[in-house]
Order: sequence, then C-alpha cells, then structure tokens
Amino acid sequence: MKKVFALFVTVVLLSSVFALEAFADNHGSDEAMVRIAHASPDAPAVDVYVNGEAVVEGAAFKDATDYLNLPAGDHEVAIYPADANGEGDPVISTTLTIEAGMAYTVAAVGMLENLALEVATDSMEVSDGMTKVRVGHLSPDAPTVDVGLIGGDALFSGASFPAITDYQELEAGTYDLEIRTEDGTQVLDLSGTTLEANTVYSVFAVNTADNLEAWVLTDYTAMPSEMPQTGMGGAQSGMNTMLMTGLGAMLAGVLLAGFAFNRRRSHQS
Amino acid sequence: MLILASVDNESAETVSSVSSEAESTSGIQVEKVPLTSQDEEPEEESLSPEAGTPKHIRIPAIKVNAPVIATDLDENNEMIVPDNGEEVAWFEPGREPGSQGNAVLAGHVDDYNGPAVFFDLEKLQPGDEIEITDENDVTMTFVVDKLEAYPLGEAPLREVFGPEDDRKMNLLTCTGLYNASAGTHEERLVVYTTLQQ
Repeated sequence: MKKVFALFVTVVLLSSVFALEAFADNHGSDEAMVRIAHASPDAPAVDVYVNGEAVVEGAAFKDATDYLNLPAGDHEVAIYPADANGEGDPVISTTLTIEAGMAYTVAAVGMLENLALEVATDSMEVSDGMTKVRVGHLSPDAPTVDVGLIGGDALFSGASFPAITDYQELEAGTYDLEIRTEDGTQVLDLSGTTLEANTVYSVFAVNTADNLEAWVLTDYTAMPSEMPQTGMGGAQSGMNTMLMTGLGAMLAGVLLAGFAFNRRRSHQS
Repeated sequence: MLILASVDNESAETVSSVSSEAESTSGIQVEKVPLTSQDEEPEEESLSPEAGTPKHIRIPAIKVNAPVIATDLDENNEMIVPDNGEEVAWFEPGREPGSQGNAVLAGHVDDYNGPAVFFDLEKLQPGDEIEITDENDVTMTFVVDKLEAYPLGEAPLREVFGPEDDRKMNLLTCTGLYNASAGTHEERLVVYTTLQQ
C-alpha cells in the first residue's frame, strides 16, 4: 500500500515538473511595464507616441493608460496634441530608459507652458495582507505639503511639486487622511480613504491649488504568477493522446492505477 | 499535491454529481473560511461598498449551483484551487465580488472521473447572469460581458486579476485538450462579467 502511494506521489511531482518546463511563461522577462498619466490641468487631450507609434489617443486630464509592455532599453516618448495627428513638433518628448522587470509611471505634469514628464518607479509587490501607498505632488502652484492622519502624524512630509514620494507599507483599512501645509493648515480632506489589503496605490494631488483634488491610481493588486490549474482531465475521452506521449504513457498508467486504488478505498469508507 | 488532496477528500465525501440541483450542494458545509474581515469600520466614502465574502454561486443558464470557498496563493505564488470538482474557489487576496476591481473565481472543468462544476462554462453567452450570494445572504447578479480562451502562459494576468475601476468578476476554468505529460489543459477560459447595477 505504501509503495503504491509513494509511486503516486512521485508521478505527481514529476508531472508538475514537466508542466513547468513545457509551459514556462517566457515572455515578459525582457520587458518593462510603462503607464502614462495626464496630470496637467490645462493641457488639452493628447496622443502619446512611443518610438514613433501612437499608443494612446485622446488622453485627457486625469486619464492614465493601462501598463504597456515595452522591451527594456531606451524609448522615445512624445506627447502630441490630440488634434495634431502626430504631425509637427510634439508638446514634449523625452528618452525613457527602462529596465526589465520594472514598472514605471510617466506623468505629464505642470501647466501646458511648462509641461514636463516626471518618471517614477512603481511597486508591483506588497507584503501579504498589507497595503502600500505613495503620494505625488502634481499640483503646479500648490505649496509644499504633508499628507497625514487628521489630528495625527504625517505619513509623508515635505512633498513639493513635482515630487512623487517613496511608498509606505501600512495596515490595510480606512484612514482619515488630509493634505496639509507644513504649518498644519488643511488643504484637502481625505477622510474615509480605504486602502485595501494586498494592493499598491499612488495618490496624486492634482489640479491647481484652488481646485486641488486627489487622483487615486491602483498600481497593483495581488495576482498569481500564472493561471490556476482548473482541470484534471477526466472528461477527456481521448485517453490515447495521453498514452502516446512516451514517458507520459508510463506516468499516466501508474497514475490511473493509483487513482483506481484510492477510489476503491474511498468506496469502502 | 493537488491530486493527493483530492483523493483524500473523496474518501470523506460522497458527493459526485456535479451539475445537480440545490438539494445536493446545499448540504455541503464549507469548512475552510480563513478570513479576516477588514470592513468593520464605518466608511464614509470608501472606494468600494460593503461586499461580503462570497459563499455560493448560481449560473441558471448552465445549471451551476455550487458552494464557494476562499483560497489563497501557495508557496509558488499560484492560486490554490479546490481539491474537488464540486466547489468553486474565490481568490481571497484579491477583491470580493461586488467591490471595485476584479474578483476572481476558479473552478474545475473536469475532475478525474468526468465533468466538474465549470464544465459548461464555455457555453455561457454575453448577457447570461451569474448570482453570487455572500456571507450576509446578500445576492448580487453579474452579467457576462465576453468569453476569452488563452493558450497556457499567455493569459493577460493583469487584465484578469489586476486593478479595475468597474465592479467586475471573472470566472476561470481550463479548456482545450488535456495534456497528460504536462498534467494540465492547454488553454484557460476566462468569462468576464460585470455587476448588474
């Protein structure tokens, strides 16, 4: 009995090794993720070109793209007015250097006449059950601010345009936050901000100081490294295909034997 | 691992009919509920409304009526799926169905003997309804947007599991041929749905 069981275990382990080798996800290893955020209050809708190709059309203030997968290396990012069809001079362009496996936010910041591209490195991980957040001061004329608990400590101190802070990892939950000047005067009430577990956020303070608002982007939520294995093969009549695959034939046979054995046991119990 | 667990479980349970109606599934007790609810504190303007832990799924169009269990990531960072063909797994590190974002449920297309709970998932059509009942006995209805099948390793994980502004729920199962040497089906089916408002 023990022997059959041990053999069974071996088969299962072997087949999972094969599964990994046969289906290893090999794209993505040389790529980086890039998203582009329009945080310029008075800039028109824009098209974003990467290496001369339009990747986003008609992005308006407070629009952010999904992450684009781009090969690691240098890329020419250019922003055109949406009505220019990519012709003429871009409003702004920059060379973006990205590393494999990293994620980036490229934010168009400032008023149109001083438009700049601010690049930040995004986090794609968070400790189990925790939440992670950073803030960006993307309001061109707002003063230096702290972000903290109302009546409590600052979580982020001394952020001035166009800074994007490092992330802080916190307990998940709902926080009564505020944006305040360094002397403690509240400039934006963020009471009841819920930060979910296993999630990474960027909270950007955008628009002009008179109309300051918080723009929350979700950078990451928990996800597995691949799609789950949701089948065991029992509904497939083509048992022959299994048996033809060399080593697979042997494994499958033993597997079936082991299974039949266990089935019998289960009927007795 | 998966296979061993399944066998052990079979000896304890005798439920075998998969697409049977309420009588058979309602008797099954959900045992594993390793959940910590974060939603106790009063919320003023939270990013998502109160959405409870999903407990049951009904898909009238394909006669699915099954318990939902919460599962986590394993040590290889893969989503744990039920060790049987009757239950549906909810990806607990992600979102609850009904909250903002992508909630994910996964069920087997078949077990070792034959069809399992999501065997007919591929027959769903846009507009079909899916009912999720949560721990507070609140039932939410989701409507199928589209079905997509992806070769193994090519599914857009971020689209399925990642951040999302709407209240979405995605159902996963296997499809395509079963590759015995790899021990898995060659494709993954995703049914994308959105909460009915």
